[in-house]
Amino acid sequence: MAENILVVGGGPAGLNAAVMLAELGVNVSLVERDSFLGGNPKKFKYKFLFPDMQPADNVIGELIKKAETGGNIKVYYSSEISDFKENGKKFDVTIKTADKNELKTFDSVIVSTGFEHFDPARDAKYSYQLFDDVIDIKDLERMMGEDNFVRPSNGQPPKNVAFILCVGSRDRHVGNQYCSRVCCTVSVKQAIELREHFPACEVYIFYMDIRTYGFFEDLYWKAMEEHDVQIVKGRIAEITSGPNNTVVCKGEDTLLRGPFEIPFDMVVLASGMEGGPQSSEISKKLGIGLDEHGFLKPENVTLSPFKSNRDGVFLAGACTGPKAISDSITEGAAAAMNAYTYAVKNK
Amino acid sequence: MEYNEKGVSIVPSEFKKEIFEEARKDFRYEEYVRGCLNCGVCTGGCPPHRFFDFSPRIVLQNMKSKDPELIWTMMDEYIWACFQCFTCAMICPFLNSPGGIIAILREIAVRRGFESARKVLKPYSRVLLKLTAYGNQLSPDMIQPDFFPDWGPTIGYASTDLAVKRKAIPMPTLQVTNLAWDVAPETMKELYEIFDESGVFKIIESVDPSLYEIIQDIVDDVRSS
Repeated sequence: MAENILVVGGGPAGLNAAVMLAELGVNVSLVERDSFLGGNPKKFKYKFLFPDMQPADNVIGELIKKAETGGNIKVYYSSEISDFKENGKKFDVTIKTADKNELKTFDSVIVSTGFEHFDPARDAKYSYQLFDDVIDIKDLERMMGEDNFVRPSNGQPPKNVAFILCVGSRDRHVGNQYCSRVCCTVSVKQAIELREHFPACEVYIFYMDIRTYGFFEDLYWKAMEEHDVQIVKGRIAEITSGPNNTVVCKGEDTLLRGPFEIPFDMVVLASGMEGGPQSSEISKKLGIGLDEHGFLKPENVTLSPFKSNRDGVFLAGACTGPKAISDSITEGAAAAMNAYTYAVKNK
Repeated sequence: MEYNEKGVSIVPSEFKKEIFEEARKDFRYEEYVRGCLNCGVCTGGCPPHRFFDFSPRIVLQNMKSKDPELIWTMMDEYIWACFQCFTCAMICPFLNSPGGIIAILREIAVRRGFESARKVLKPYSRVLLKLTAYGNQLSPDMIQPDFFPDWGPTIGYASTDLAVKRKAIPMPTLQVTNLAWDVAPETMKELYEIFDESGVFKIIESVDPSLYEIIQDIVDDVRSS
């Protein structure tokens, strides 16, 4: 009889894990809290993915299609785990859907519950939700996904746009000391997209460090050299209202100009990633560790980043920390391999 | 800041080192000085930065350099440009407190009676007198045009006929002009004890000896009453 494996969370990591397990002939139960698959990339309508600007649908859409049509995968939409018990080496799990509870026994479990976008309203200095023209990268990504590049306040094309990096990351005031890894590259990508869409629009990026790690650096240099994006060292201290329906960014250009107050038509906050309430919830339900950053804690961050501290429960994707989509997909495969091995060994 | 004719500081480097060590040993130092990546948020939000050559980022960077020379350069004018509003501490992502470092350095300047401290505290001598000798802060007779230019053109009118105006206030006041409120001799004696124990009188003596003498005369009078 085939193995039964539970995957919790249907984002890039969970989808890839489910698809790979299904290909091995495993009976996969995929539990998804939303009414659709694809996780945050789908929810916020990511349009083009860095580094090669390929349509997000080529990646996410492809995975969803495979999960929905590949057979062997039972998808539970708008569902959650309501009860979780160890049964020898196996697990008795109650899956709660909108209309019923289903009790199933699994050989192993993969947790891929993902992340939440940091809510910039939590940091008052950015005036998010106070001014219509202050948005964040997920808002812009969704707007661009809907082919809507204009200023929220008046529907006009922006004459200049500021990107502000490290919003909700690397800041002890909001409780997140870590770097969210992808926001620099996403901002650079979006800056290029804005410049391509509105060649007359000036685009600034305000940074403390720019962390376009590895090959993502290509995109950063391209933004500067081919798209004339202005890169200014200095974190923004305050955003306030300016003349002619603008928003003023106040800060210090620590390398060149000293203090500045620049009015912008639009400000885009590069808000980071958080473990979200789902991380602590699943940690309690499944009895697996939570780290000091609010993400799920791997047994060994270097040797076995895809293992939880509980035998038979594996981790994949951004639930263990900020991550690019490609890394999440890789981890989905790694967790699938480990969950499969565990299931086969203990059958 | 003493320099010789060649523009070289004649303050011995041992002394500068001593000042730095004094700051570093302050019990607040570890809390105020953490990591810094020169993001400039502190300076971007700093009100005096708009008006003076003053940057909280430079204050923190100088402190983190552990270079006694750099810290010494701030002791003359730099540390007195800060408004002590602590906006920098409110917004620094590392939770540094450049304003707190300023407070530590100012206290050293005052304790050691540096010329810069004397100069800056001079206009406050009337407040210091009222505060330490009488347990009062601002009394009506201190409202004089020379001392409150920021009150604008009405200060002239506001500073005349104080006794009558005081009496016209429609609520019980002391109705005198040399005190803001009445402080019992027992309370004043307790205050003197506090100022003695905490070294406040000593600091005033080093910063403004003549003010200290006036205060001590009043203190002696009250204590012997």
